[in-house]
Amino acid sequence: MLIPANSAPSSELKARPGPFVPAVISIRNREPTAMTLLLDIVTTAAILFIVSAGLLAIFGVLEIVNFAHGAWLTVGAYCAVVTGGLGLNPWLALPLAFVTGAVLGGVTERLIVRPLYARPLDAILATWGLGIVIGQLITLWFGRDVQFTENLLSGTIHVFGANYSLYRIFALAAAAVIGLGFAFLMEGTRLGLSARAIIMNEPLARALGLDTSKIRLVTFMIGTGLTALAGVLLTPLTSVDPTMGVAWLIGSFMLVMVAGSSFGALAIACLVFGGAQVLVSTFISPILGGITVAVLSALVLRISSKGFARV
Amino acid sequence: MLGILALCALALVIVGPMFLDRFSMNVLTRSMIYAILAITVDLLWGYAGVLTFGQAAFFGVGAYATAMLFTQVGSSPTLIGLALVLAIIVPVVLGLIVGWLSFYYGSTPIYATVISLVFPIVVTQLIYSGGTLTGSSSGLVGYTGLPFGLEGFFRLSGICLVIIAVGALIFVRSDGGRILTAIRDNETRCAYLGLNTQRIKIVLMAVLAGVAGLAGFLFANASGVVAPENTGFIFGTELVVWTALGGRGTILGPVLGAIGIDYLSANLSGELPFLWQLIIGSLFIVMIIFLPNGLAALVLRFTRRGRSELPIESSPELVMKTSLHHKNSIDGPLLRIDKLEKSYGSQKVLQDITLDVSPGELVSLVGPNGAGKTTMMRCLTDGNESSRGVVRVAGKDIAGMIPNQIVALGVGRKFQVASVFESLTVAECLRMARAALETPSFVSDSDVLGLPSAAIEILQLTGLDQRLSTQVSLLSHGQKQSLELAMVVALEPRMILLDEPTAGLTKAERTTIGAILKKLTSELGLAAILVEHDLDFVRDISSRIVVLHQGRLVLDGSVEEVVNSEIVKTIYSGGDHV
Repeated sequence: MLIPANSAPSSELKARPGPFVPAVISIRNREPTAMTLLLDIVTTAAILFIVSAGLLAIFGVLEIVNFAHGAWLTVGAYCAVVTGGLGLNPWLALPLAFVTGAVLGGVTERLIVRPLYARPLDAILATWGLGIVIGQLITLWFGRDVQFTENLLSGTIHVFGANYSLYRIFALAAAAVIGLGFAFLMEGTRLGLSARAIIMNEPLARALGLDTSKIRLVTFMIGTGLTALAGVLLTPLTSVDPTMGVAWLIGSFMLVMVAGSSFGALAIACLVFGGAQVLVSTFISPILGGITVAVLSALVLRISSKGFARV
Repeated sequence: MLGILALCALALVIVGPMFLDRFSMNVLTRSMIYAILAITVDLLWGYAGVLTFGQAAFFGVGAYATAMLFTQVGSSPTLIGLALVLAIIVPVVLGLIVGWLSFYYGSTPIYATVISLVFPIVVTQLIYSGGTLTGSSSGLVGYTGLPFGLEGFFRLSGICLVIIAVGALIFVRSDGGRILTAIRDNETRCAYLGLNTQRIKIVLMAVLAGVAGLAGFLFANASGVVAPENTGFIFGTELVVWTALGGRGTILGPVLGAIGIDYLSANLSGELPFLWQLIIGSLFIVMIIFLPNGLAALVLRFTRRGRSELPIESSPELVMKTSLHHKNSIDGPLLRIDKLEKSYGSQKVLQDITLDVSPGELVSLVGPNGAGKTTMMRCLTDGNESSRGVVRVAGKDIAGMIPNQIVALGVGRKFQVASVFESLTVAECLRMARAALETPSFVSDSDVLGLPSAAIEILQLTGLDQRLSTQVSLLSHGQKQSLELAMVVALEPRMILLDEPTAGLTKAERTTIGAILKKLTSELGLAAILVEHDLDFVRDISSRIVVLHQGRLVLDGSVEEVVNSEIVKTIYSGGDHV
């Protein structure tokens, strides 16, 4: 009898093979078929994309690496915990997380990030410090134990002759929505136009009368809101505890460095490196799979400092 | 002063065990080992400007090399010696590899930080997958190493810390140590002073990896246990936090920061486990934003050095040096440009430039904005800039060469905006210009400053010889331009390239610079290429004028020929004032 991949997230995905290995890959007890492998690759890429999108929005426009990224994922996941605790529909966690993330992001931009735009390396450090603070606040509030959340979607779906986790297929759709939403935001709205103007030439944008500090604030809020949203979307795939975000930070950071400021490049990077991660995890070792994204990104950057940004 | 401080510190670590309880001694031993790591982070980040999270991994590799040898083979005195050697050599080799990955011509600071994040993660994952060899997630424990007791390890760690701290302090105050600050301030200028900054940073990283490995050896012996957490990037960030809170760029600040915070953590985390981390995190954010140089900056603000009021007697004495290189004359022209072309896609910014320049010539490059003058300067000083054509300096094709290699051929470049080292003094800037010719001392600061006579003359003409101990950030715009010119001349170049050296200068300063340039070329036989908009100035000093227009060389002739030509009058509409 075939055991469907990823059908029971609570039992198969809660263990992490090391501190830096996000539990994206299903741990199977059967040989993977080509179909499930392919599905693993695209859904892993989708999850990586969801997790990195908020970081990219901030880095792409503001050229600031938000090292508190992991903390925002954690905040989002705890929004799901709170929603569950109140007995609400688990889907309500998504808007709750987006709003919480955006509001906290707004405060952060004003107080911490704004003084450091001219000192990008210091901004990495200050946001890392913020990550520590948020992690400790969550620990003080909820304790350091693993929390359980209600599944957003459970069961499997029959796709192309394979039984596959419905939730992972949903993640694929969610990634597409986020990607297309951003494409629309950047190409089709006034905010996107202003953001692109800032990316290209900030002094000129300011001279033309754009309120760049407001655009920076809004961009940062969208980025952090999106990241918190991603935190909710992660809850069915990984355990929820105060340090869960750190495992995702480095992977998404590397993907964003490779992608530069382009969502298209990020999608490609997620597919290529996510695919490599699935293959290494499946055929060699899940522990080495966990460092695939980081190592390959570093090598790509060493060879071409623009990474995939030219794509 | 440093000697007294070192002796006090030594006395403290030797008598310390008599007054401390076992718990404090245990914790402080660890804290002092961590302080060694904080020093290495400070040298890399505080001095050389390389933000690194990777020192934890070198430390971990050193500790694991030691523990694995003791666990797998045993621990005789020979093996302990071997462990010490391995704990240093393996990190040094890894440091060379990580350094080679991090620093190459054109690499960005953030890329080095990226590599410093990836490296500890790779090391940690390898340890996790190492099975019984590395102890996987539970680490290694139960081996025997150096036969010291608690007091012994306390004293050993303390002595090592004092030695390394004193060594680091001597190094950063030496003439050679100032190179790190120069690289942090202005890496491009360093390269154009002929310094191979990539190699310097790689060597620095390798040496500091070795120091971190030594700390790992001490830790593995003193604690009797090594775990994957000792190698991870989280520990790497903690090192940065301690360095930042103590005060980057001060050596002592990070030492006190590491010891203070680690000791307090051990004492307080039992009672207020999460609150303590919360306080450290908040303090860290506040420090980074408002007091980026840490607590030490706060202390230094009340001292004389902190207010950059150096006593006048610390000024070095100027000494004339006979020239060190390029003494052999070369046959034919010094610079040969053959069909040089530079294009961005289909857009050609420079095409079909052919030009020879001989020693003693002062060639002015004129042309309207966008004619390609600055681009041409770039193509002459960076072998990767041009798209087609050949540039030969002293007979050598410069294709593929990076700036410091071209400087070594005898090319000095002065930038349009004065490119100097803001946080160094005038004398230190000039010493940087000599660093590629005479390797500076890494243990002492010299009280003489040897410069070629032409450079000394520039200093005297501009009054900079009276301000040798002034910090560069306090100089005026014109003084910085003169300083940069003196630095370029101190390189003993055969040819100098100057991009608008008189922009923003007063009439008097312009005359001085003009006189200097004339003397350098006609009396000392240097070649000079000058990009200039001020045509009166050009006419006064040039021996030849080259006109660029829309990326092409349209005229090349004597001052009279060019000034009276129709073409120039057309290009500069209303050219009658030429």
